[in-house]
Order: sequence, then C-alpha cells, then structure tokens
Amino acid sequence: MSALPTLLAKETKALFASPIAYAVIAVFLLLMGYSFTAFLFLNKTSTLVHLFFQAAVLFLLIVPVLTMRQFAEERKTGTLELLLTAPVRESDIVLAKFLASMAVNATMLALTLTYAGVLQAYGKPDWGPIYSGYLGLALLTAALVALGLTVSALTANQIVAAVVSLGLFLVLWTIDSLGSLLPYPFDNMVLSISLLAHFTPFATGAMYLSDVGFFVSLSLLGLFLSVRALARR
Amino acid sequence: MTPVIVVDQLSKRFGARLAVDRVSFDVRAGEVMGLLGPNGSGKTTILRILAGYLRPSSGTACVAGFDVVAEGLEARRYVGYVPEDVPLYTHMRVDEFLAFMGRLKGLTGRPLHDGMASVCERLALSRVRHMLIGKLSRGYRQRVAIAQALLNDPPLLILDEPTNGLDPRQIIEMRELIRALATTHTILVTSHILGEIEKVAHRVAILLDGRLLAVQALDGNETGRHLRLTIRGRPQETVQTCLRAVPGVGDVTMQGIARGEVAEYLVQVHTVSLAESLTAALVAHGFGVLEIRPERADLETVFLQLTRAEATV
Repeated sequence: MSALPTLLAKETKALFASPIAYAVIAVFLLLMGYSFTAFLFLNKTSTLVHLFFQAAVLFLLIVPVLTMRQFAEERKTGTLELLLTAPVRESDIVLAKFLASMAVNATMLALTLTYAGVLQAYGKPDWGPIYSGYLGLALLTAALVALGLTVSALTANQIVAAVVSLGLFLVLWTIDSLGSLLPYPFDNMVLSISLLAHFTPFATGAMYLSDVGFFVSLSLLGLFLSVRALARR
Repeated sequence: MTPVIVVDQLSKRFGARLAVDRVSFDVRAGEVMGLLGPNGSGKTTILRILAGYLRPSSGTACVAGFDVVAEGLEARRYVGYVPEDVPLYTHMRVDEFLAFMGRLKGLTGRPLHDGMASVCERLALSRVRHMLIGKLSRGYRQRVAIAQALLNDPPLLILDEPTNGLDPRQIIEMRELIRALATTHTILVTSHILGEIEKVAHRVAILLDGRLLAVQALDGNETGRHLRLTIRGRPQETVQTCLRAVPGVGDVTMQGIARGEVAEYLVQVHTVSLAESLTAALVAHGFGVLEIRPERADLETVFLQLTRAEATV
C-alpha cells in the first residue's frame, strides 16, 4: 500500500498546525481584500484581472515561506533520516509535501472566491477570465511549490532555501523584460521561460495549451528534481 | 547460520574524503554484531548505508538478500533503524508518532494497534503514550526511537550509539534491553565505548579511518587464539625461541617481569589445541610448564593492538 495518504496527512497537519500557514493566509487575504475593495470603488468594473496579477506576485513571495521548511527543516532536525529509512518511496515523500503546500495555496485561493461572489451579486462579471485566472494561479503556484521544494531539498538551512527560492522566482517572473534587450532568437528563448509571459494570457481570459503545458512541465520538472535531490545522498 | 547482512567492498566518499574504504563483513542471523571505532571511523556511515539513508560510492551491501540500493524498498522492510541523534517529530505525541511510523511500515488496523501496544509495553512507554515527544527525557526519547524501529517486528535492528547521552542507570537499562532484543532479533550496534560493545555483542568489527581492521569474536570460541603460559626456565629468550619454533605459533611476548626463573608468556596460536605441542616442546627443552590456559582476548587490548599496529604502518 502506498504511504502517500499517511505522509500527506502528516504534512497537511504539520502545515496547518504551524502559525506560518495562518500568518501567510491572513496577510494574503488582507492585501487582496484591500486591493479588491480599492479597485472596485475607484474603477467600478466587475473584473478580477488586476487581482490575479497581484495574487501571482504575492505567491512569488509566499511560496518560499511555505516550502523553505519542507525538506530543510527535516534535514536539519534529522527526521528526514527516519523518512528515508522507512519503506517508502522518495516520490511519495515529495508528492505529500507538494500536495500539502498546494492545500494551503488552494485555501487562500478558495477564500478569494468571495470577491467573485461579490462581483456576481452587484454586477455582471465575465466568468471566462475569472475561471482562466484561477486556473492560471493554480498552475503557477504548483510550479512555484515544485521549484521551492527542489531548493529546500538541496539545503539544511531554511533561510537559504527561502532566499534562493525567492531569487529564482523573481528571475523567472521578470526575465521577459530582459528579452526585449536581447537579439533574435535569444529574446524568444528568454520569453519561453518567463512566468509572467505564460501567466498573462490566463489572467486576461485567454487560455493556450502551450501555457498549460509550460506550467505542468515546470511542476513535473520541480518534482522530479526534488526526488533526485533526495536520492542524491 | 545465514547472513542477514552481507557487506562487500563497501566504500563511501564525501567529496575528497573517503569515509568508508572497501569494508567487507557479514552478520549472521541471531547475532549481535558491534561496530567499534573512534569518532569519524565510518561506523555511522556504514549503518546509514545499510538502513538506506546513504548510497554507497562503490561496493555492495545486502540486507536479508536484498541489495540496499537496487532493492532498497524491500531491504528497508527488514530493518528497524535507530539513528544516532534520535531524530523524532517533537510536536507529535508518542501515540501519534508510533501510529505514523507504523503506517509508513505498512501496518494498519488491528496489527498497528497491537504493534503499538506491544512496543509500548516492552519499552515501558505506556505511561507517556499521550505525552508530547518534545516533553520527554532523553531516555524516553531513545525508547520511542527504538519502539518505532520495532513496530513491524523486523528481523534486523540497527542501533547507532544507543547509549549516547544516557545517564548510567539508563545505560544499564538500554544494555538489558539490547540483550533482551537479541534473543529474537539480529542486531548491528555501534559504539565508540569499548566496554559497552563488549557487554552486548557476540562479535565486533573494528574500524579505523574508514577501514576494517579486524572482525573479532567475543563469545570465547574464536577469541581463545592466545595461550597464556607460566613457565619455569632461563634464559627467557631461549624459552621464547622454543615457543616460536612450534608450527602454528605466531607472536610470543613475555608478560610483566620474571619472578626468578618463572615468567608468563602470551603466545599467539592459530588454534588453542596447540597447547599440547607447546607443552611437549617446552618439556623436551627442559623447561617446566606451571600453567597453560587459553587467553580470552580483552577487547580493549585487541583494539589498542590493532589501532597501534595500523598507526605504525
């Protein structure tokens, strides 16, 4: 029998039992709520496009906080030795941590659905961009969590894991601005790995299979690298 | 007896440092084997490889016939492992932790419940089952770590420095526990304290700087490879020459100082049955044999001899 449900239960409980998850959720909702209210009163348009971009930037900052401890703490306290010497697969350990972190992200996103509810109650929002925006955020956070786990699996220091993850995310988010400075074909190459370039269509209501493929591929790459980082011992 | 552990030419390199250097040994079913060596000699690295935490750089290690790398999942089912620093989830309660580890080892329902009850009773944990692990003393944490290792009743236990950090009373309790477990389990245990290993192990593998110096039995069957002779005769050099001339005799050393014509000699022999030949040779040369007895090698002496010999190479 797979150990995944047992590991997932332990990871989810550990995340939701720590004050970190609640602090992160509270700050996220506070900032999102402030922006939503301000935008609604100033522009009086029933759209969430700007909120999706803000949420994406907040996730760039939040995900390192969620993933930094996942492996780094277990490595530092030695409990990783318990997990890796139990008859469980490395992939189950990584997947459990990934899904538990995604549960926190999903909670945050689910709570922002109230904004969509408010728009529906007082206006006539176009639901297409809202669906695609949430899908884009889910895919983006999955990729960020997977990459964050890889970094965490490579170090025993939580601060190092957080700083390196944050740096990596910011580079991947803003790298498209570098693209305009580069000659062909390097500009296209840089654009092809930009998180912002692949997220923008989702936020604005356009869904492309290539963008879905990009985030899914990035998530799978992150998970694969995390498993490899654990196996390298 | 069937070997439960077979280690063959095992090496582990951390960057430029060779932590384990072509180590080979086996551990038979039902045996308590001690890994002995100073800090940094590679004991923990070998245990971690056997437990599946580290991968060897070269060589192989098999547990219950399963290669710890190629068939790691199967091998780990046969091992109950207690790491050196007793890493535990301190935010969990003892019950919760044992249930978690039990489920990872494939136990559910009644077997999990029974397994937890059994290990708690065996390790006297019933009183603290509902306490947070972080609130427990070092001795209790050590017991919790052993309890999780015993949950699925694995045939092999690997204990890394199980008496580290314990007070004298807890050390005695731990020793008794290992002895009790030895009746039903094969145990591989490490320590840098010679006396501890001597009290619980059947055999010891002595390590220094990652190399295996010797595997020494402590049960008296194989350790009697020295004979202690009390001989009357002079000069002592002639007595030693006479002893060395007997086929099968290795090193001969005079022990202490001679009392008149009488002196004690420690004679290395390939079998203790050489006593008869030695007596005959001595009598033929006109020396008196006052006493002859097998010498059970003291582990400390063996360890010092081996490490000293290694240092002079």
